[in-house]
Amino acid sequence: MLTDPNIPDPDGLYAALTAAHEGLTDAESAALNARLVFLLANQVGDQRVLLDCVAAARAG
Amino acid sequence: MGTADQSEWTGGYALPTYPFVAPPELTGGAKRRYPIVIVGGGLAGLTLGCDLANRGVDCVLLDEDDTIGVRGASSRGIAYAQKTLEIFAHLGTYPRMREKGVTWSEAKTLAGNDVVYSFSLQSASASEQPPFINLQQFYVEWFLVDRIQALGHCDLRWKHRVTRVEQGDGVVAVSVETPGGAYTLEAEWLVDATGVNSPIRRGFGLETHTARGADRWCITDVRFKEKFPTERWTWVSAPFNENRAVWQHLMGDDVWRLDYQMDPDCDPDYVSRREVAEERLRAHLGDVEFELVWVGPYAYRDHLLDRFRHGRVFFIGDAAHVVSPFGARGGNSGIQDAYNLGWKLALVTAGRAPERLLDTYDAERQPAAQQNLEVTSRTNRFLAPRSPAERTLREAVIALARRYEFGRPLVNTGRMSVANPYPASPTVTNGGHSVQNVPITLQDGSRSNLVAFAQSLGTVFIGILYAPTRADEVAAFAWLEASGRPFRFLVCGPGGIGDPDGKLMEVLGAAPGSFALIRPDLYLAGCVPDARPAHADAMLKRALCQLPTAT
Repeated sequence: MLTDPNIPDPDGLYAALTAAHEGLTDAESAALNARLVFLLANQVGDQRVLLDCVAAARAG
Repeated sequence: MGTADQSEWTGGYALPTYPFVAPPELTGGAKRRYPIVIVGGGLAGLTLGCDLANRGVDCVLLDEDDTIGVRGASSRGIAYAQKTLEIFAHLGTYPRMREKGVTWSEAKTLAGNDVVYSFSLQSASASEQPPFINLQQFYVEWFLVDRIQALGHCDLRWKHRVTRVEQGDGVVAVSVETPGGAYTLEAEWLVDATGVNSPIRRGFGLETHTARGADRWCITDVRFKEKFPTERWTWVSAPFNENRAVWQHLMGDDVWRLDYQMDPDCDPDYVSRREVAEERLRAHLGDVEFELVWVGPYAYRDHLLDRFRHGRVFFIGDAAHVVSPFGARGGNSGIQDAYNLGWKLALVTAGRAPERLLDTYDAERQPAAQQNLEVTSRTNRFLAPRSPAERTLREAVIALARRYEFGRPLVNTGRMSVANPYPASPTVTNGGHSVQNVPITLQDGSRSNLVAFAQSLGTVFIGILYAPTRADEVAAFAWLEASGRPFRFLVCGPGGIGDPDGKLMEVLGAAPGSFALIRPDLYLAGCVPDARPAHADAMLKRALCQLPTAT
């Protein structure tokens, strides 16, 4: 699992995410996040990295 | 679990009954010792009886009932997977199954009012048998009984209820009750195929790690006037069933299995009442003409024994393991348990392999059951989310599957039964996987297949030297046959068998010069590249457990 900075434009990404959630209910936002998780997971495509990410996310 | 009276559901079927015949023990004969006694004539027990009979091995099969099927026309298992069909091809019942059953390979997954995706199981198949045939379980059992009766060797004893099993020194004592009186017999090896509530397993007090699910389902087997496509349809959430799951599957005689996921708090007796079932059907299919064949509620339970061998007693099928029905991993795995054990018992009782070969039954089939339990538990969780967060994850997967290919493998409506690979062990060197029933040509050029060929050879390991690269060593391979071991050697190539479509090479993982060893249950014991006779000899010894265990 990569933990060094690797996102080319962090502020741009954050802005895109907040914009995507605008006007959504909590349930709609949760649904968006879930779809996003699976879309990103498919980009990663490495089971070990994915499971490490799940564990890291769970750890908070 | 069941409603008060299941006997009302005959579905127009008259199942065969078999007469009680007084055994020799009750007609003046002395108490006898039998090499192999099987208890329970369901899918697993009958498969084992038939497999032993087909290998020319004598056995006794005790069944407490006098018919096949357990609850009138209740079908229970309906989908028989490729390895199972290959086994039945070996035992000789496959042609009747193919004729009576429904061959299918197309499946659709639906959510709401539309199809999320469709798929075909056919493309990946190298076998002469299709991926699946659907057929009522009682037909499968019926064909096995007919076949056993034709083969001889298996003494089928109906109306024989086992009341007590006791392990002694090198022998198992079995007490039996019959309409003609009680008697005891002795078995060198006893196989418990008495199913989920096995009294034998309970008698030994073995831990089963039983878990019961909250999920409730109601099976409705129904005959329609109208024809529907022979496809498996699965709704993750069906609008006509309060957005719960529904299965729709065809069996023999134009009978459909419709399986509805119920409210976990439902009253099982209420949901399986005739008028309630009819109303549910009309909500599903509109105004169609139909006839109910069988209706019954069920709840999931699973269990798994830690060890499938207990002294001289083996547990096969539901007596050893029960999983949720997703992917048809129940009946199929019981049948495959039997096929795994049959040849081992045949060789050991004939003195052609050491007793420790029998330990590989547990070493191979217990992990297979564990794998089936894990796979079905995951499906269960997909279909019955336990929290709003789980539901959100599932909805995300379904939404993505509608739009993108990558989402489809995440939708889990059941992973269809496979021939489980076995863990690597001294007996299966690279981890045993099933060898599909691929076409071959025989020495005379005629077309055959691997299963038919194995049947013609009897209970032997088949060693295949694939396209020999060292012509001078072929005779040394062939000489291994003279060892007296259950082994037949063949060359695949000029003068030997042929691989007309290249599929044999593919399923063996062979290349020119490879030696592959195929077990009597058509699992690969190993395949070595650039093989020498010494490799083949060592592999055969390991596969037969003829080497010291610490290999």
